[in-house]
Amino acid sequence: MADYRDLWKSLDMDLEKHDQLCAVLPEFYGDIYLSQENRPEGMNYYNFVVSEIHGLRIKELAEHKEKGGKVFGSFCVFVPDEIIFAADAIGVGLCGGSDFWIPDGEKVLPRNMCPLIKASVGAKLSGTCPYFQSADLLVGETTCDGKKKAWEILDEYTPIHVMDLPQMKREKDKIHWIDEIKIFKDKVEELTGNKITKEKLEEAIKLINKKRAVLQRLYNTRKAENLPISGKDALLITQIAFYDDPNRFIEKTTELCEELEARIEKGESVFKEGTKRILVTGTPMAIPNWKLHHLIETSGGAVVCEETCTGSRYFENLANEEAENIDEQIKGLANRYLGINCACFTPNEGRIDDIIRLYKEYKADGVIYYSLPFCHTYALEYKKVKEALDKEGIPVMMIESDYSLQDAGQIKTRLEAFFEMLDSSKNEKEVAATK
Amino acid sequence: MKRTFQTYVLFPSHTDGLALEKVLKSNNMKYTIVPTPRDLSKCCGISILINPDDTKQVEQLLKKHSDIKTEGIYTIEKKKRNWFG
Repeated sequence: MADYRDLWKSLDMDLEKHDQLCAVLPEFYGDIYLSQENRPEGMNYYNFVVSEIHGLRIKELAEHKEKGGKVFGSFCVFVPDEIIFAADAIGVGLCGGSDFWIPDGEKVLPRNMCPLIKASVGAKLSGTCPYFQSADLLVGETTCDGKKKAWEILDEYTPIHVMDLPQMKREKDKIHWIDEIKIFKDKVEELTGNKITKEKLEEAIKLINKKRAVLQRLYNTRKAENLPISGKDALLITQIAFYDDPNRFIEKTTELCEELEARIEKGESVFKEGTKRILVTGTPMAIPNWKLHHLIETSGGAVVCEETCTGSRYFENLANEEAENIDEQIKGLANRYLGINCACFTPNEGRIDDIIRLYKEYKADGVIYYSLPFCHTYALEYKKVKEALDKEGIPVMMIESDYSLQDAGQIKTRLEAFFEMLDSSKNEKEVAATK
Repeated sequence: MKRTFQTYVLFPSHTDGLALEKVLKSNNMKYTIVPTPRDLSKCCGISILINPDDTKQVEQLLKKHSDIKTEGIYTIEKKKRNWFG
């Protein structure tokens, strides 16, 4: 087997602790992912990326750095990758989806903090995440109070730049966000020593748009009556989109889409007839947080879409490719990013519209509102969302859960009851329609 | 409970794994790229999971494509752990 220990050592990692983390992955991934039946052949590429998650990609980052290139790590869909790639740097999403890192996070953060933040900080402090160790600069944002304060603590361990995301979407907020992107551009230019020209930025905008478009194409296949791919697999693909090489990702995901579209033509499905179609909405799911999807898809449901940051929020809406100069390009980027309906905004009615639209587009039977514990914005927004969905007659259930596995049985029971309820409400609707 | 066995091909590097993948694909053989099980290696990285019944055929293909290096073919019993209770 390829030996990456020297590479990890050069990144100042805690090899012993990292070894404990690596020990779990093959079995965990195997039981969750490889146990699926009739999986598309194209998933082999994503199996490959996961198998090499701390190997090949880290080696590629190291080679890039050896040539003088820079690596930027980010945590959020608001950080504009276009600016990073336009300076010939590489942007990667950072880890934060495992219980493994929580104890280290809790050494410096309060316990009543969302697991994503605790795990992210813990991943850095424990020296077990090679992506954190490869990043020349972390890019934070002000999407929630927990993160804002966590950056101040993380700053003691690694360089960080924080983008001030406005919390409203008025004209003056847009101007502010344009300014923030400009400040970020200056920072990226300074760190990389590369000037971001109009041409370079145009190239990067097209590249990232292409990645978004292929993700949309993938998601479109999930609108089919016979689902050619599981929700679990689709989630994995979106998670990988955050950190794998964009060109390779686009090429391989295009191949997969071709296979899935052929499956749709043949009416081939990975689920039994009658499986409940579920739209998941809420907080992001960082690798390897596959828990909710796995529980849904082993309890009689199929996830057909995610209205989350590891879902439609990441790729919907493309940035303007036709701008004439840098100022216009940045304005186009600001527009695109401020179109994301994160719960950090007030008001945030756009998200409710998105949920209803996606529910219809993906022909879902019900909505599961997922929230990580202590994620105030999403937990609070449930009230408004539920009221709107009730009005539309859309069944919804909220599930709050962290990365631990203890509550799995309880969640499964609730899911099964929810799916049963969807059955009876469907029957009632059909009876009412024939009367 | 019925015991099930799985067969893995291990490689010195991922490029050898991807090279074998190409060969298996062109020969219409079933395979899955998987993380190497801990029981077989302490280093992370890819292996190729094949049907135990195909072992002979894969060995023959490897003989034919001697440029593809492997670290052996192993058959082990499949463990099943119930992660979520």
